[in-house]
Amino acid sequence: MTSFHNITELLKTLDREKKLLTEVFEKRRIPFKWEFALLLVDEKEERLTFLLNHGIMTRNGPFVELDDQYLQFFETILEVNEEINLSYINENIQQVKQNIIYYLQENDADRQYAYLKIIKGTLRKIDRIAYRNMVDLHRNIENTFKTEPTYTIKIAKLENFDAKRQDITVLLDQAELVVTTEEQAFFTSAYDEELKQIVISLRHLINYLRHNSIELQKQVIDYLNQVKYQSRVMEKLKQVKYLKDQFELKNKTNFIEVLSNNKAVVFEVNPSYPLRLSLDVLRSDDTIEIKQRIAKRIKTGVKLTLPIAATIDAEYLNNQTEQEIFINLEEVKNSFTAAANNLFNFIMQYNFQRPVDFQERVTIYCQVVSIYQNELNITDYYQQQQQVEFALVYPK
Amino acid sequence: MLLPKQTAAIFEKLSKGQFICSNASNGDERRWYNVIDEFYEDLYAYFMAINFSLERGNEFFYFTRTEARADLERKIEAAYRLIDIVDFFKTFDQAFSAGYRFTPSQVLVRINVDATLKNKMEGLKKYTKEDTYKDSLQKVIDLLRKDNFTELENDISNTYKVLTSFAYLEELILSIDTPTEVQ
Repeated sequence: MTSFHNITELLKTLDREKKLLTEVFEKRRIPFKWEFALLLVDEKEERLTFLLNHGIMTRNGPFVELDDQYLQFFETILEVNEEINLSYINENIQQVKQNIIYYLQENDADRQYAYLKIIKGTLRKIDRIAYRNMVDLHRNIENTFKTEPTYTIKIAKLENFDAKRQDITVLLDQAELVVTTEEQAFFTSAYDEELKQIVISLRHLINYLRHNSIELQKQVIDYLNQVKYQSRVMEKLKQVKYLKDQFELKNKTNFIEVLSNNKAVVFEVNPSYPLRLSLDVLRSDDTIEIKQRIAKRIKTGVKLTLPIAATIDAEYLNNQTEQEIFINLEEVKNSFTAAANNLFNFIMQYNFQRPVDFQERVTIYCQVVSIYQNELNITDYYQQQQQVEFALVYPK
Repeated sequence: MLLPKQTAAIFEKLSKGQFICSNASNGDERRWYNVIDEFYEDLYAYFMAINFSLERGNEFFYFTRTEARADLERKIEAAYRLIDIVDFFKTFDQAFSAGYRFTPSQVLVRINVDATLKNKMEGLKKYTKEDTYKDSLQKVIDLLRKDNFTELENDISNTYKVLTSFAYLEELILSIDTPTEVQ
């Protein structure tokens, strides 16, 4: 493997192959085929071999991938890394410590200055790395909670992140110890304004990160509880559903008891409250529109059906004649006025158009007397015939 | 006792067996939630006088009776139905819980590719009495909506949101003790 001679060469190479590198970086989680890579370097195989030779990319059978070194570099710079590497902080703390020792032992001012410069740079690095780590941790915890589909893995990952968070806190404590108590000799002797500034900013950041860490811990605990609650619900649900499908839920669990003790209104039939209308309001004019509307609805809604009478029997429509002979009392009276007999005897002998018996003749006598009372001469003399006593009546 | 002016509206909703949730889209309901939260003691005493106990869940409120009113048969039937429905949606997505958003079409797509889910949908048909999955699913969602466990958040995109009251169902399921042999 050959290495780059200078930074310009490296940057030029990266710039030339930016199309391929972007594509490979974006698809870093899936295998990237050699043929596709070839297409992105204008089918020039030597360009691809150049990348392989210089360790920017590696070949793995039919696939190519970005070298781990570059991948990590890109991920860290673009803040998309999922790995949280604590060794950096630790390494840098060690470096600070070593350089402090060199500084204290060195007598030459120029070389002392060089060491001081390294220390300042490293402290700044710790500052940045610690901050970045916390932010990464934050993002990763959030992502894991939201996207990890399997509950067991989710719990394990969250617990891991929490352990990392603890490690970061420990490292922060160490870093603070270095700049405050452990290396007091150096920090008081190396009188440098910039160093002071850096230390203050570092301590400030450490303080800030500690608070952050507490907040993060709370969040992780909350997430873990939520996840555990959910996985508990899932587990219980599976058991309950299984028992229910086996028709054993009532017998094998306290299902009935739970429901008996449950008095929530949600299980009740939705109540309706039929209230009577206020008569006073109905009488007032305010409700006239409502009443009209309802009246209209009722008019169209209900169809009155009139009952139809049965057909008239044909028999009733046929004419029927019945003959009856009536006795004309007027005619009887007129005939009587022409006769000389008394009325009773006259009627007894009168020749009617139909046979008339004695009883009826007596009735006719009574009828004539009562109707034509004024035209007859009713005397006070009486006669008797067939046990009927009658007054003698003559025409006037 | 000084009661908030929303008391009547609160009673109206809760007495129908519904929930008042903190994450409801309806601004009124969210306000009611805050009002209850603020005047909880007063409202509790007030509703207690008419035999309703105002209960506080995790981010939701509901009514219980001082003595059981609904008959057991009905409760079992309702609980069976709810267990099936919760199981269906948890199979659709394990994260199906308070605050979850979904559209019926998402569920339908999953039904087509997930045999277990399809099977469970078939099982739910006994409650919905619908032939097509689409209608059946809509009926199931409506059942949850009627009892105020989900709501239609956006009627243009047809997005539903699971309300905090869903935790009530989870609690109900968790309160059932299962024998060790099943575990």
